[in-house]
Amino acid sequence: MSAPITLTSSDGVEITVERAVAERSILIKNMLEDLGDSGEAIPIPNARLPRVLTTWQVNEAVLKKVIEWCEHHKNDPPTAGDDDDNRRKTTDIDEWDQKFMQVDQEMLFEIILAANYLDIKALLDVGCKTVANMIKGKSPEEIRKTFNIQNDFTPEEEDQIRRENEWAEE
Amino acid sequence: MSKRCREYQPSDLPPAKRNRDLVTDPVDRLSSLSDELLLNILSFLPVSSLNLCQTLSHRFHTLSGDSELWKRQYYSQWVRPRARRLANVRRSTLPGRTEYSPKVSTWLDHSHLAEEGKVTNWKRQYRLRHNWSRGLCRVTEVEFPQPTSPPALVKLCAGNVFTADAPHGLRAWAAKDPASCLANIPFPVAQEKPSMLPTALVVSHQQSQSEIVVGFESGLFNRYIFDVQTSQLILRSSHVGLCDGAITAMALSSPYLLIVSQHRNLSLYNLGDQSHELETIVDITRPHELASLKADNMVAPMTLSLRASASEIVATVVYSFFHIGCGWSQGIQELRFDKDGQQLDCRIASTVDSQYGMRPLQGLSPSLMRRHSATVETVDNEDSAPVVPSILHRQPPTSMSYSHPYLLTSHADNTLTMYLVVSDLESLFVRGGQRLWGHTSSVSAVQVTNRGKAVSVTSRGDEIRIWELETAVSSLGSRRPWKDENSIQVSPGNKRRMESVSAPMPKSIQRDLDGLGMVPSVPQEMSRMHECVGFDEERVLLLREKQLGTQLLECYDFT
Repeated sequence: MSAPITLTSSDGVEITVERAVAERSILIKNMLEDLGDSGEAIPIPNARLPRVLTTWQVNEAVLKKVIEWCEHHKNDPPTAGDDDDNRRKTTDIDEWDQKFMQVDQEMLFEIILAANYLDIKALLDVGCKTVANMIKGKSPEEIRKTFNIQNDFTPEEEDQIRRENEWAEE
Repeated sequence: MSKRCREYQPSDLPPAKRNRDLVTDPVDRLSSLSDELLLNILSFLPVSSLNLCQTLSHRFHTLSGDSELWKRQYYSQWVRPRARRLANVRRSTLPGRTEYSPKVSTWLDHSHLAEEGKVTNWKRQYRLRHNWSRGLCRVTEVEFPQPTSPPALVKLCAGNVFTADAPHGLRAWAAKDPASCLANIPFPVAQEKPSMLPTALVVSHQQSQSEIVVGFESGLFNRYIFDVQTSQLILRSSHVGLCDGAITAMALSSPYLLIVSQHRNLSLYNLGDQSHELETIVDITRPHELASLKADNMVAPMTLSLRASASEIVATVVYSFFHIGCGWSQGIQELRFDKDGQQLDCRIASTVDSQYGMRPLQGLSPSLMRRHSATVETVDNEDSAPVVPSILHRQPPTSMSYSHPYLLTSHADNTLTMYLVVSDLESLFVRGGQRLWGHTSSVSAVQVTNRGKAVSVTSRGDEIRIWELETAVSSLGSRRPWKDENSIQVSPGNKRRMESVSAPMPKSIQRDLDGLGMVPSVPQEMSRMHECVGFDEERVLLLREKQLGTQLLECYDFT
């Protein structure tokens, strides 16, 4: 087992994690690979031994949440790119992840942004599926209310678009 | 460095907004995500939700209409099920991969949607496919202002409708808007005899132009070009055929033209590229073994087909004849020529064996047999031929359509019959026959394409069905019957019901109606189908004849 990694959140809080956990993030994994295992002279700011990486975009609360997810999923087999299509067909989320995603909207979108930034594909998908499930089965007005989306159509435009999209009823 | 890292822009979520109170100032966090992330979210949504999302806001309208999203939906809805099915049928010949690939050319038979320099609107394609599968369309009717007798000849090709009749000449119409005539070119006035009556019309499309050949009663034929960009009809050349009789049927596979005359002469021409000189490459009289065709042809429909490949030209004549055992059957004569017009061979096959439920054995080497039977379940007792034919037609077919390898015949007994023609270097035979059920009254016309899509219409024109034959092929020869759900009845959303349609017709009259458009009009019916003109990717065109001789062109638009 290689040395643990210390991650610094954007607000300066340090969290030390196992390397396997940190490497769920492709961003961190690539950085570590670029740096090599020399353990010396790490050319990024705020980095010191054993390893300190600053996650510039992610604050403490979100980073903790992301690490919690990575801890739980650290032994997941790497997802194959091939089943991309099947992956999209279903918005089923496993139970643990569903519980994990029971957060307010602010945190949900922060997690999506963090997963995108840190390049954790599986977490990004869970986040996006969660949002997709919030959209599914709702009327446009309900969706707008859920996410505070501003309706910027004129009534005529809205009418026309509704008529255009009437064909798929199922 | 990872690509995503760079794509993240801090402006996606302004820090000022992050800590604001949720209740007092509701933030649209969803819309503040980048397009990339929103598309990722939308990619998890079904088609119905995507349509709803388009009505949310301008931004969502654009994103939910994203062509790539719809391309993926198109794939999972229409391509993958088919790929799976094909993979099941011939497991060995197809790769097992049925995953989504953005390369359309790898989608079975969908390469035409990914032509060079053409941007495909996948949402439109999806919707088109969806409408076809449900039979959803809009119908527009155009009445010919001055009805002609005999009725005008009509063809649909690449979104344009071409009509030919003696008073008006050749006219081109846009199928999208059939009320306006795009171009018109009168037929030359006959000097001595009034014989400029068009008797056959054929159209083929390539690149940006359609080639039209009109055959006349005099045996003369004219060749026209319709330029799609400029909407112009140009007379390219005029030819006197070698036969005197009227041209009754033509098939065009540019530059080759196949003509059958009234006197049963079959001629194959090479129209050449720009030459005004017409070169007759073959002019053959029917081989003697087909002499009986002469008589049969008077009562039964006949259809021509011409396929040109890199090395040969295959001309096919499908005709009907009466078999003492199994009633009306189809004979197929195939003439193969090389590019210079030298006849390579002439082969004949018929549907008789198929109608008895037998698989043809002659002319097949054992290795070939294995290859064919790989797709068909083995027939148990091949030695004992069944005495009663499984397909028995007591009346001649009302129409035929052959587009290799599909051969379809329509019948007055509410059914269609499908055969699969196998033509390879060694042999020509018909594989399996299948009755297609679904119509509830006499079927008068059928059209099929080589993609296996067929459209059939009843004699009163009140029921149009769309068939996807590919699934039927896989069940050919097997014991289990083909499920009906493979045909869909066309249901125009805006159809004005005509009174005659709802008026029930006495059974006896209905049986007498051949629907060929040749029987004199029956008093009880106000309108009847003259001919199923054809269909393309987007629409079906029908020619309806009303009692008073007026003609109605009906365009069923699936877009």
